[in-house]
Amino acid sequence: MSNTLRPYLNAVRQTLTAAMCLENFSSQVAERHNKPEVEVRASKEVLLNPVVISRNDKERVLIETSVNSLRVSIAIKQADEIERILAHKFTRFLTQRAESFVILRRKPIEGYDISFLITNAHTEQMYKHKLVDFIIQFMEEVDKEISEMKLSLNARARIVSESYLSQT
Amino acid sequence: MILLDYHNRIIEDTLKTRFNPENKPKPVDMSIVDFDGVSYHLSTLDDNDAKLNLSIRWKCWNELVQYGALDVLKREYSRWIIDPEHGYDFTLQFDLNDIGGDPEDVIRRVSLLKRNAMAAPFERAFDAQSLAEQEDHWDPSSSQLMTIHYRDGEAIYVQNQQDRVTVIFSTLFKEETDRVFAKVFLQEFVDARKKPHLQNAPQVIYSHREPPLEIRHVPGLLDSESQGYITFVLFPRNYAAGAVREETISRIQIFRDYLHYHIKCSKAYMHSRMRARVSDFLKVLNRAKPEIQASEKKLASGRTFRRA
Repeated sequence: MSNTLRPYLNAVRQTLTAAMCLENFSSQVAERHNKPEVEVRASKEVLLNPVVISRNDKERVLIETSVNSLRVSIAIKQADEIERILAHKFTRFLTQRAESFVILRRKPIEGYDISFLITNAHTEQMYKHKLVDFIIQFMEEVDKEISEMKLSLNARARIVSESYLSQT
Repeated sequence: MILLDYHNRIIEDTLKTRFNPENKPKPVDMSIVDFDGVSYHLSTLDDNDAKLNLSIRWKCWNELVQYGALDVLKREYSRWIIDPEHGYDFTLQFDLNDIGGDPEDVIRRVSLLKRNAMAAPFERAFDAQSLAEQEDHWDPSSSQLMTIHYRDGEAIYVQNQQDRVTVIFSTLFKEETDRVFAKVFLQEFVDARKKPHLQNAPQVIYSHREPPLEIRHVPGLLDSESQGYITFVLFPRNYAAGAVREETISRIQIFRDYLHYHIKCSKAYMHSRMRARVSDFLKVLNRAKPEIQASEKKLASGRTFRRA
């Protein structure tokens, strides 16, 4: 792991652990409603300050917190056209399976590639530290996966072109 | 399978069973397709099961005829040519009782029908170049640009020049992803020549959107992001008469299909990779859920019960 990745992931992990302090909270606006406050944004006093952690101008994480929910949005590294397409395909692939990824938000926040929405219900059903682990592992592996796919594409292209041009 | 076959597999297999003297002639009516919108029709005559017709239809047929395709086809198939069947461009007829040659050889040649039809402009260009080389004075007007619109919106341009023959493919990429992948592939084609064992390979030039100089004056070129041009520069050593020339013609024809085939393959590979990765992620996420232990509950009397 490169030198800058470690502190970056550490910062995200610490922030997430601190932010994942959620409790059941009914809506103050509508009776008998219970919604993730970070999404409805109906009452200002239950929202906390959002935090942006950036590794560089391309890779960053936005963590928005409220009393009963937490939203994590990740911008994935996209150095060139191929990485951009691969990242786009990959995140689309994931969001189409949001049903099984309970914490995945179907639509990423503007300016980010993928978002997770964690509510108090999730933290009650699941271990908090494991949820944090999941997000950290996700961030690690997405980069790895994209660069591996890119490498395999290049390797394939090389073999394809060489076998075509040999003998001719 | 890295390289695609030059012949049509279905024709080969069907003819193999038909030409086998152990099999009795049976009526057949088959439509077969091939790359680049080619369709074949394989049928027996209504009144005679021993006569087998094979017809081909291709939208660029008239252009091929104009560049001498019939000469090549006559050379290859003279025995079997009959008047074209209605709705098709070219027809061969075989008599199963007298095939007229070694069946293996006939089958091989017939399954290369599309390739042979397309070979004409290439042969013409190669011959014209060889001829020009022998003369001292190069007459620029003897350079002919032959255009074959073999697919909708895609064409092959073949031009003979003083010391070389250029073959230009124009190709369309329907999707943005295809275009980006193609860029990677074609870049490798361009770079492949730097390898020591590929020094003799033809030079490949790739340009995206911008047509190469040779065909810039051709009207009706599509100016769009999805358009790409690939130029092969063939030198006489690449088409020395004999096996080398035949191989070059076959292989250059298959280029477009080869490229697109491998783009699709890479996409399929990425897809399966993403599937595997997503199921990995799901496993990690599911680890976060505590396992509920199904412990048996007991009554004071010692009997067990199950909660509804």
